[in-house]
Amino acid sequence: MTHPVAIIGVGWSGFRPVTPDVSYKELIYEAAVRAYADAGVDPRRDVDSFVTVSEDFHEGTSIFDEYVPDQIGGAQRPVHTITGDGLHGLAAAVMQILTGRFRVVVVEGHSKASNILTLPHITAYALDPILNRPLQVNPLAVAALEACRYMHESGATREQCGAVVTKNRRNALRNPAAAYGADLRTEDVLASEVVASPLARLEISDHADGAIVIVLADAETARRLSPHPAWIRGIGWANDSPSLESRCWARAVYAERAAAMAYKMAGIGNPVEEIQFAEVDDTYAYKELQHLEALGLCAQGRAGPLTREGATAPDGCLPVNVSGGSLGVGHLLEASGLARVLEVVLQLRGHAGSRQLGDVYTGLAQSWRGVPTTSGAVAVLSNQLGGRES
Amino acid sequence: MPLDPTLHADDLRAWYGSMPVTSRYTVGPAGERFFRAMKDAARILGTRCGRCNLTYVPGRLFCERCFDELTDWTEVGPSGTIEAVTVVHLDLDGALLEPPVLMALVRLDGADTVLYHRLSGVDVADAKIGLRVEAAFRRLEDRTGSILDISHFRPAG
Repeated sequence: MTHPVAIIGVGWSGFRPVTPDVSYKELIYEAAVRAYADAGVDPRRDVDSFVTVSEDFHEGTSIFDEYVPDQIGGAQRPVHTITGDGLHGLAAAVMQILTGRFRVVVVEGHSKASNILTLPHITAYALDPILNRPLQVNPLAVAALEACRYMHESGATREQCGAVVTKNRRNALRNPAAAYGADLRTEDVLASEVVASPLARLEISDHADGAIVIVLADAETARRLSPHPAWIRGIGWANDSPSLESRCWARAVYAERAAAMAYKMAGIGNPVEEIQFAEVDDTYAYKELQHLEALGLCAQGRAGPLTREGATAPDGCLPVNVSGGSLGVGHLLEASGLARVLEVVLQLRGHAGSRQLGDVYTGLAQSWRGVPTTSGAVAVLSNQLGGRES
Repeated sequence: MPLDPTLHADDLRAWYGSMPVTSRYTVGPAGERFFRAMKDAARILGTRCGRCNLTYVPGRLFCERCFDELTDWTEVGPSGTIEAVTVVHLDLDGALLEPPVLMALVRLDGADTVLYHRLSGVDVADAKIGLRVEAAFRRLEDRTGSILDISHFRPAG
């Protein structure tokens, strides 16, 4: 990457199962103030452009993008909203900086999931209105069918999925921001009620409220302002076929393609050797396994056994979701991908507290937009640039 | 930023709102042909892409792989094979379903894509990948030209 882009500031508020004391604007404002303090920038003076991510139906407001500028310091400034995951927003910010017209760009994502009173109806409303929606089934069925097919073709087992849950919820105990830290046994996960076979209650991430704001800058600005820039070495995004009828039901093709794009940009030929830790989407436990294989971080069918052996634990050879992931932190709707990026940045800085990994310099963050989408994104971050200490 | 501490959580105010949303969804030329064949003759039609060697069901007007227009209509099914199955225990409001609903991905004979539909008339223990099933159509007078003209899939034979 000839014109590198770096993350120079992060801020977050939350993450909690409910936040009856603050509105979404105040959640976002709190995260933004922290991010600007962390980056050492004044949003009214130093930020050239703002990118936010949101879905109108999750917000309960039409044309929600009109409601985002003020609480991020973006009133009367260039602001636009992407209806995608936060990592899609991050990609847009990177592209803006690469144009050479913007030096400092901000990305915001949030979740006020506790205020959404009919979320399964909203997700069902995203299914094809002519072919799928008339069946009036809880959209968990879509994830369950994918889990069924993925496990059939990969050989992954319920015990292996259970091991993802126990690992991530245990990791979350060492993340002060996580909402759902717990010390569970795999038997507890498998014994929880099956809501849509093979998915049991504890294999499905619960939602949390919160906001995340990330400040990006071009190389010159990053070096001037930040003692610990996290360089975005590669970023990519992709879709599989969107329809339920023609998509791949076993593999996460969107993650394969997004990773290929990000690895190419980063010049990564062998991700197993070059990626030291990963934060990947684990909206459902099986998704972590499926995504690790799609990202090329292990061979097809190996993610489950490796998880059972402890290879993806914080002291394993490939720590995965040290933050706790969505299972442990809480699913943050569109901000989920930014939560994955946040952890990678904290680890690369050495700011991850009691869960700090030793001697890490390259990490990966991956997102999935959730049922019923086949959209995902991948970012590769490093605290070094091309072998040079930044 | 935070509120002053309160010992009265009930005092925290919130406003409630909802919006009725009603839309019309045009099925288009390919949808007309697919749904009319289902309504009038209980036949399931796909379109074939010779270049990609793929048959799409429901039939569609273009190939998503090579972007060619598709004009080669072909009948598929009504039998097929289960590619994935789930027993769903919650309805859209999150309430427990008694009995639960079986949902399946069915690859109809002659198709390269799957249909997402209900499965009935089978024990949960027998509802597995590889099970041979067939479309159960509603009676002619009850069919309206929708995906619900297939009421469900059931074990073949």
